Amino acid sequence: MKQFKLEIISPNEIVFEKEVDLVIFPGSEGDIGILKDHMPFLTSLRVGIVYIYLEKKIIETFLVTGGIVEVSQNRCSLLTEEVINTNSVSSTNKNEESSNKDEINLKRQKEKALAKFYYS
Amino acid sequence: MPSLKDLRNRISSVKSTKKITSAMKMVAAAKLKKAQDNAEKTRPYARKMSDIVNSLVENNKSKEFEFSEKKTKKTRNILLIVCSADRGLCGGFNSSIIKFSKKLSEKIINDGGQVSYIFVGKKAYQSLQRFCGESILDLFSDIANPSIKFELASSLRDKILELFRNDSMDECYLIYTEFKSAISQTVQSLKLLPLNALETSDNNSSNKSYDFEPSEEEILNEIIPKNIAIQIHTALLENLASEQGSRMTAMDNATRNANDMIDNLTLFYNRSRQALITKELIEIISGAEAV
Repeated sequence: MKQFKLEIISPNEIVFEKEVDLVIFPGSEGDIGILKDHMPFLTSLRVGIVYIYLEKKIIETFLVTGGIVEVSQNRCSLLTEEVINTNSVSSTNKNEESSNKDEINLKRQKEKALAKFYYS
Repeated sequence: MPSLKDLRNRISSVKSTKKITSAMKMVAAAKLKKAQDNAEKTRPYARKMSDIVNSLVENNKSKEFEFSEKKTKKTRNILLIVCSADRGLCGGFNSSIIKFSKKLSEKIINDGGQVSYIFVGKKAYQSLQRFCGESILDLFSDIANPSIKFELASSLRDKILELFRNDSMDECYLIYTEFKSAISQTVQSLKLLPLNALETSDNNSSNKSYDFEPSEEEILNEIIPKNIAIQIHTALLENLASEQGSRMTAMDNATRNANDMIDNLTLFYNRSRQALITKELIEIISGAEAV
């Protein structure tokens, strides 16, 4: 899989900067996946989750509340004012977690299917 | 010649001044570190944002859009946003900002334009108050207490856009001090509005033709206000870092000068004391001889 550079920048810091395979983010008119050699592209974001894939696995997910994505010359820059790494957010209620297990499984399956679709 | 008591008083007053300046230097150094970190962290975001806006505007050279130049008007109303510090004792920091703004506004007036001002920070406001008279629109002070908030930049941005939309302002410049290092800062002006393409020689960036989602116009309308806010925010952060850097060097110099002064005064004091003792001895001896 060919890789391209992704950077997620917020006013406070550079949140993420790495070579990745695929990134899926919530564009204002629907989710968009970016692979290598994408044409120059500019879109605004809505609230949602950014999935970053490397070697067919999600390596990182971020919650964004809006912003702008620019893609040009194999470089994808995501500018957002508010971004949270979802790993840093954990459910405080364990019961809730277990009851949501089915939901989570369903979500995982969806993610897998999505990844399969993009990698195929 | 001052008496010994006068000298002692002077020495002790210089010593207490030195205590104050060295304390201020240390406070400024601590604040500088934080301010510098903040300023440097925002830089990549601001730079990327202005890159995107510039390339967008460049692609749009021929088209008219909301924030492009108005060519119909003859007299230009120009808004200067002057960023300075709230407090003094920071060397030439405030005075160089004041000088720069004065020069710029005189140039604009000579060219037949009209100038209005928004001040951020009290110092420039206080000394330019008489010079600009009634053209001061607003003053924001105490911005860095405890830290610079993004809301300030957004409210400034809203104000600017409102003025621009109802035609009471045609151009807007931001005057601030760029932070290079603790000892070197330069006053700069940044054009916020209207947007026109930078005249750059490299054609690499202008050849990009973007695909837009939703439409180009909507993206422009969303991204330009964002860009203005973030540019103001970074300028304020840079300004704060510059202020602290400038204060630190100024106070360092003051402490060093106080040290020199204490040395000189102590030397002088000892000499006078010695001279006084010698004089007394001579008096006693010559008195004894006469008996």
